[in-house]
Formats: sequence, structure tokens, C-alpha cells
Amino acid sequence: MTEGFQPRRRGGAVATFSGFEADLLRSLASQLIELLRDEAAVPTTAVDPFEALLDFSGPTNEPEDPVLARLFPSAYRGDAEAAGEFRRYTEAQLRSGKAATAGAVIDTLEDAGLPEQLDEEALTIDVELEQDDALAWMKAITDMRLALATRLGIEEGDEERWEELPEDDPRSHVHDIYDWLAYLQETLVRSLGG
Amino acid sequence: MPVEYDESQLDDLTAADRPWQTVVWNDPVNLMSYVTFVFQQYFGFSRRKAEKLMLEVHHDGRSIVSSGSREEMERDVQAMHEYGLWATLEKADD
Repeated sequence: MTEGFQPRRRGGAVATFSGFEADLLRSLASQLIELLRDEAAVPTTAVDPFEALLDFSGPTNEPEDPVLARLFPSAYRGDAEAAGEFRRYTEAQLRSGKAATAGAVIDTLEDAGLPEQLDEEALTIDVELEQDDALAWMKAITDMRLALATRLGIEEGDEERWEELPEDDPRSHVHDIYDWLAYLQETLVRSLGG
Repeated sequence: MPVEYDESQLDDLTAADRPWQTVVWNDPVNLMSYVTFVFQQYFGFSRRKAEKLMLEVHHDGRSIVSSGSREEMERDVQAMHEYGLWATLEKADD
């Protein structure tokens, strides 16, 4: 099991993952990208700059999927019109930004030697992150945690509830992954001096 | 170009001068260390100030992290959403 991130001498952070852990991170990042690309709320992107200026087709309603609703919360409370306008101009950009940070995680892992199909159990993956990559990882880990927390229905101060789940409950396993991501995040923040 | 302003436009003009603020809300997911880090990283706050605001979020449920024009606050809210923090903007006198 990984010891999490350590500070890198020239700034940034390093970590060593087992093949299984690296594969798990890639799978979470891929699922996030798929959810973010869910066509329902993605506006068509006009190529022509004139058309682009006239393209007001961004979404104005909160996404139906609760994970997306958490990732893109309403910017104005109690003002649906202002919230809709904000969403129209920002959500597409936020979506592609989040997909890009999740993509950066996948790229790092694959560049560090994670094969497309993991079949060698003893594989270890050494990850070295420059400051910018480390920030992308931090954001992506946050999004993964927000997604898992939303699916699990995590609430403030409910730790006991999760500890009491029987081990064969699938939510127990997902909650372990959620906790593991918190550990990664904590060590990554600390590695960057936070 | 409008030659005369009606009352609602005048309201808009004065509202434009009124400060807006960015509010970050507590959530059960984001780590205290991460929230502090984001406040330092994005706003350039000292660690001390970032921690103070983070604790406000944690204990009071919300904290005002920046104030300024509506456009600036929309930019800050968007940035907070990029970092996965739950943020909204509101008029300063709300």
C-alpha cells in the first residue's frame, strides 16, 4: 500500500503506487471524465469565432445528476435567473477544466508505466509531479472524493455510520476508497507545504 | 445607446457600485488542510488568514472570503468551483 505523497526536492511531490492502486486511480479518473462529458448539459461548441460569440446554448439549469450538481453548484442562492446566467457562461468551461485535470492524472500514471491492461501483480508505479501537475492531481482527487461522497450520501459527522457497516456491504468498500483518497490528498497538500 | 434611463436602469447603475462578496460554505467532504491550501494558493492569503477563514467555514458553516465587483466575485466563485469548494456570491448588504 502506498505511503502517499512526499515532497519533491525541486518542488512538487512524488509517490509510489502499486499497480492495483494506480489502476484504481485511473478508473476513477476515467469515470469522472465520462460523467463530465455526459452530453445532456454540454453545449455545442462553435468553431467560428463569430458563431462562438453568438452561442448562448450553455446550460442554465442545475444538472440532474447529483454528482454534477455538487461539482457545479448554483452560484446565486435564491436567484434562479442570475444562477442560470452564471451557469450558461461558466459550466462548459468548468466541465472541460475538470475533465482535463482528471485526464492529467491518467496521463501521469500511463507515462509512469501503467499499462493499458494491468496483468502484472507486482508492478509499482513511481509518480513524480511538478507543482502544476500536483495542483491538477489535487483538484482531480477532490472531484473524485466529491463524486464518491455524493453517491454514498456522506454527511457531516457521520463517521460512525460507515465504521459500523458490515464488511461485505459494497458501500463499505467504496467508503474505504473514499478514505484512501483523503489520505492521498492530505499527503499531497502537506508535500506542497500546506 | 439609451438616451434616457428609466428607473430600473438607474437601479442597475447604483447596484453596480455596491460591493459583492464570495461566500464559501461548509461541506462534509473537503479536508481542512485542503481548504486552507486553496485559500492560500488562489487568494494569496497568509497561512494564518487562510486558516482563520477555513475555521469560520468549519464552525459557522460559511465564511466571506473576498469582496469586490460582481464580475470579480463571479470569477472567484468560478475558481472555487474549479477547486471543488462550494461557493456562492451575494450582495454585501444581503
